[in-house]
Amino acid sequence: MESKEIKFKLNGKIVRTEVKPYDKLLEVLRDKLGVKSPKYGCGRGECGACSVLLDGKTVRSCLIYAVEVDGHEIVSLEGLQANGLTELQKSFLKHNSFQCGFCAPGMVIQVTELLRENPHPDEEEIREYISGNLCRCTGYNPIVDAVLDVIKNK
Amino acid sequence: MKTFEYFKVASVDEALRLLSMYGNKAKILAGGTDLVVMIDDEMVAPDYIIDIKGINNLKGIEIRDNYLWIGALTTFSEIIHAEIIKEKFPVLFEASKRVASVGVRNRATLVGNICSAVPSLDSAPTLLVLNASVEIKGKEDKLVPIADFFKGPRKTILEKDEIVLGIRIPLETRKYGANYIKLGRYEGEDLAQVGVATFVAEDLEYRIAFCAVAPTPVRALDAEAFLKGKELNTNLLDEVVPLALKAIAPISDVRASKEYRLHTSGVLLKRSLKASFDRLKGNGPSYGINLV
Amino acid sequence: MKTFDLKYVGHDAVRIDGLEKITGSAKYVDDIDLGPATLYASILRSPYAHANIKKIDTSKAEAVEGVYAVVTGKDFPYRYGLYLKDNYVFPLDRVRYYGQHVAAVIAVTQEIADEAAKLIEIEYEPLPVLQNPLDSIKEDAPLIHPDLGNYEVVPWLYPQPGTNIAHVRKIRKGNVEEAFKEADFILEDWYLVPHVVHAPIETHVSAALYTPDGRLTMWNSSQSPHTQRNIIAHSFNLKHKDVRVIAPYVGGGFGGKAGVNMEVVAAACAMKVPGHPVKIRYTRKEEFYDTSMRQELHAFIKIGVKKDGTIVALKHQLYWDVGASAEYGSNVVNATGFSAIGPYRIPNVWIDSFAIYTNRPPCGAYRGFGYSEFHFGIESHMDRVAKAIGMDPVEFRKKNAIQEGDTVAYGVKMGPTGIKQCIEEVAKAIEWGTPSEQPKEPNKVRAKGFAAVWKAPAMPANESSAAFIKFNEDGSINILVSGMELGQGFLTAMAKIAAEELSLPLEKIRVELPDTDRNPYEWQTVASHVTWSCGNAVRRAAIDAKEQILNTISEAYYIEKTNLYLEDGKVKSYTKPDFEIPFEKFVIDGVQMEDGTFRGGPILGKGMFMPEFTSAKVNPETGQGGHPNVHYTTGAGAVEIEIDTETGRIKVLKMAEAFDAGKAINPDIVKQQITGGFVQGLGTALYEEVKFSEDGRILNPNFTDYKLPTALDVPREMHPIIVEVPQPDGPFGARGIAEHTMIPVMPAVANAVENALGIRIKNPPITSEKIIKALLESKK
Repeated sequence: MESKEIKFKLNGKIVRTEVKPYDKLLEVLRDKLGVKSPKYGCGRGECGACSVLLDGKTVRSCLIYAVEVDGHEIVSLEGLQANGLTELQKSFLKHNSFQCGFCAPGMVIQVTELLRENPHPDEEEIREYISGNLCRCTGYNPIVDAVLDVIKNK
Repeated sequence: MKTFEYFKVASVDEALRLLSMYGNKAKILAGGTDLVVMIDDEMVAPDYIIDIKGINNLKGIEIRDNYLWIGALTTFSEIIHAEIIKEKFPVLFEASKRVASVGVRNRATLVGNICSAVPSLDSAPTLLVLNASVEIKGKEDKLVPIADFFKGPRKTILEKDEIVLGIRIPLETRKYGANYIKLGRYEGEDLAQVGVATFVAEDLEYRIAFCAVAPTPVRALDAEAFLKGKELNTNLLDEVVPLALKAIAPISDVRASKEYRLHTSGVLLKRSLKASFDRLKGNGPSYGINLV
Repeated sequence: MKTFDLKYVGHDAVRIDGLEKITGSAKYVDDIDLGPATLYASILRSPYAHANIKKIDTSKAEAVEGVYAVVTGKDFPYRYGLYLKDNYVFPLDRVRYYGQHVAAVIAVTQEIADEAAKLIEIEYEPLPVLQNPLDSIKEDAPLIHPDLGNYEVVPWLYPQPGTNIAHVRKIRKGNVEEAFKEADFILEDWYLVPHVVHAPIETHVSAALYTPDGRLTMWNSSQSPHTQRNIIAHSFNLKHKDVRVIAPYVGGGFGGKAGVNMEVVAAACAMKVPGHPVKIRYTRKEEFYDTSMRQELHAFIKIGVKKDGTIVALKHQLYWDVGASAEYGSNVVNATGFSAIGPYRIPNVWIDSFAIYTNRPPCGAYRGFGYSEFHFGIESHMDRVAKAIGMDPVEFRKKNAIQEGDTVAYGVKMGPTGIKQCIEEVAKAIEWGTPSEQPKEPNKVRAKGFAAVWKAPAMPANESSAAFIKFNEDGSINILVSGMELGQGFLTAMAKIAAEELSLPLEKIRVELPDTDRNPYEWQTVASHVTWSCGNAVRRAAIDAKEQILNTISEAYYIEKTNLYLEDGKVKSYTKPDFEIPFEKFVIDGVQMEDGTFRGGPILGKGMFMPEFTSAKVNPETGQGGHPNVHYTTGAGAVEIEIDTETGRIKVLKMAEAFDAGKAINPDIVKQQITGGFVQGLGTALYEEVKFSEDGRILNPNFTDYKLPTALDVPREMHPIIVEVPQPDGPFGARGIAEHTMIPVMPAVANAVENALGIRIKNPPITSEKIIKALLESKK
């Protein structure tokens, strides 16, 4: 099957890479472009570990073929923190919000989108937004606490 | 791993040309949240993928003549955030919020949802009670009532060389209340065990539709006829349930048993009718609130 | 003599792995690139739950361009196992569960491997499928392991050749039959706890490289690097020095990454293609089918009590479905056999705990190691018995709670325990005794439920931990251990223990993840024992380093050792207030004397810990005579729930759990263990269950239909409570609490359901559907 060159903005820089039509965005980011923060967790869009921002919206990179992002913009956790830790990351750190850390990049991406859309969500809105991001370690409340703390300090 | 050829098309005509060439060997790709999983699971094995996201005139939500048009590329997130939806059809906002999770809704489209035609599809009951119709283009243009669109589990009337351009929802001039309730195994993202949408207009025309309890999403026409013209009350709710349940034929599967689905279909129907009726009267729960 | 308050231990701190994780810098196995020579494997799996393999023809697959090798059972005809060698690297002549790996194709790309795997031709002869342990023990049941009698096994497990019983642990204490005669009330019943999966968000990943010099290097997502090295060296006839297991961060383990499973497949693949790294990352579906799961338990419980609430006798028969292999699960069965009385003082005990083979996927360690499963029945029973004799269930538990000095079922004295404080703290937090405020909606009802628990680390009597502490030029240290950071805060706990002994700020401490070449021995990171065991090793290593530091300074500066102490990375003197030598001045280079010579040199602390009071040698017929457990951690938990009586939906409004941590090294992280463990327990209480078809397929091998709790499904109000009754041999008094936190949840929820609706659910998960079914039946 023929490869196709795609060009897109990745974490602020234009990248070009050859992909097969069936290559998933997740694998291309990880294996071809060295962007490792999105993780494989389920391959079906059900766990949120592979989340990245596509044109500013959280998407599951396991459900997108890389060819589809030709001409678009992708931001992963690596891009969010290009100028140092975001306030959200600092709050997660302060609250020890993660244990194994595997869901953390996806969680940061998802909450970042939420806070851009609504800088002052209430607790239930936060829970609803992250309900597609599975965490098996924390019981979620430490994550919600950290987000509430960021909002309070805004 | 399944291999295929990928086309990104810029116009409906281009998509149709490819479809007429490749027929059943081709699949239309919009949000991909369903198609990609089906390909990975080897439930479908297309040789050609036609990505329609570059077709600009399939995007958007707008009022046209006497209907609201939702383009085939409109995502559930766009529906949730659209003021026009909250103003005209807040029940569609309510139903869209019950679909998967934010990260999936940012990509998944309403039209893709109905084209998947899974029995549990969340958007169908709402579209059914709003008397929506499906704009189809192929050799000829068709406008098909949503009630006629579904043929069976994962089957629609769509021919292999046709694509859906969008959904039309007739503008409602009457005052009305509507509601969608979905029961899943928990509050988090889940497929529906039962979904119920109801609609009641000021002249007491009622509409009722279910998903996940029959091979296709269904209207409960007998129940609707029974309620027509009547002010809703507790007795009426008790009486309408058996009539409505005649319209459904739930099965037992990994998500729920037939018996549980039957029982909760009645429970949800009562809640939904009450919510719609109260909304009509101006004292119902605000749209978007989860009633389970 | 100056005395010190604890400066690090017992205080909250930001986790030392926090920054790595929040920036996405933390490397998990799949994040490691192994270069262009890397090959990919596709695994062909059994389409039968039980069948003879008549023929395997791999020739067509081998002929595909890009395929390097095909591996099947004949290449590595080895059996392996942690406790009982009953599992196959690849099956030879028989498959024993649906989805079992039968062959692997190694190719230059994943696509080629996947396509070639489809060309392997295998002829099967289907055999009868056993899916219920109670069927497996019937006399005419077909044998799943006909050669059981020939398998190698540790001396303290008892396989029953000619049956499907891989092990039986018996406890006989007192005389239960006589005691039942004297009881005022007896309750007997059955409970069924189904299979659940660990579902770490990171699936199993293993990468392996075998080089022509005979060296095998593996990168595993692992809780057990040394145990994996041991098993793999034995299985493949390699020298331990030549097997290197590197374990980067783990994206969740929960017992599922303990011992060995798919890592043997990666090792076998690598050995077929010397010079080429082979990486295998399991899909979520493979994670369900072919790693390990929690065993199903069918439990019969009979308890006799006096009118005053004294428990006089317990008969507990546990029929465990361990699946097709008991290589690890046999020890779950063993450990629970010893402890299946719950945290109570019971004079007469009869326990039979059977490990029974079925044609379901192999089962093994799962957070709680069997204790969640048997506590479901025990703690359901405690509520039922208490109510039957008119006693408050919490009072009943307090009355019977085991205390220090009481004799446990296998004859050993109970150590220090804070169980009564835990019960009281939880009762206070959940406002036990105050009825729930009922909501206005007529279809909603609220109630509370309670449970108490205990658990001992389950491990061989001689499990051990070791640690090195290496000082660096700037006075910072690297701690080398092989305990694993699974998210539980292990690295931070070890850093704090060293920080406390060496009076060194946390910023100057790095704790290294395991590499069996470099880091000293650790048995496994399981059993909630590493804070205790490896913590002791690290503390001893720190004391060893401290001794070296004090010796050097004493010798170089002519100050009595007893007059020296460490503070904030410096050596100070009690007798000379202005004397201070920062570590960086001497910990590598030593101290230069007036004559130009040097004293001291690189400081390198080492420490080891192995319990020397434990023994697995017990009488097989009574379980008496040994000392199989090191200690017990005790605790309690409670929930307040709201049930929608029309849909059956249960919402947990509030939870409280208290555990006796001995000493919480990092209280904040301990509390998170409690909230996190509670939510994992909540999943098993309400939603989680692996469902099987009649032919042994899994019907829900994905998160579409195997539901993990989400942020919307957890109680908004959580009360994690720490109780501290010191463990005499624990570092600063600490003992483990990680697994324990999920144990109370299933029974507490079941008890709350009964308190709300008067219906007793005896088979979790307590789904909405089961509530409705029971309600409809109770109305009949």
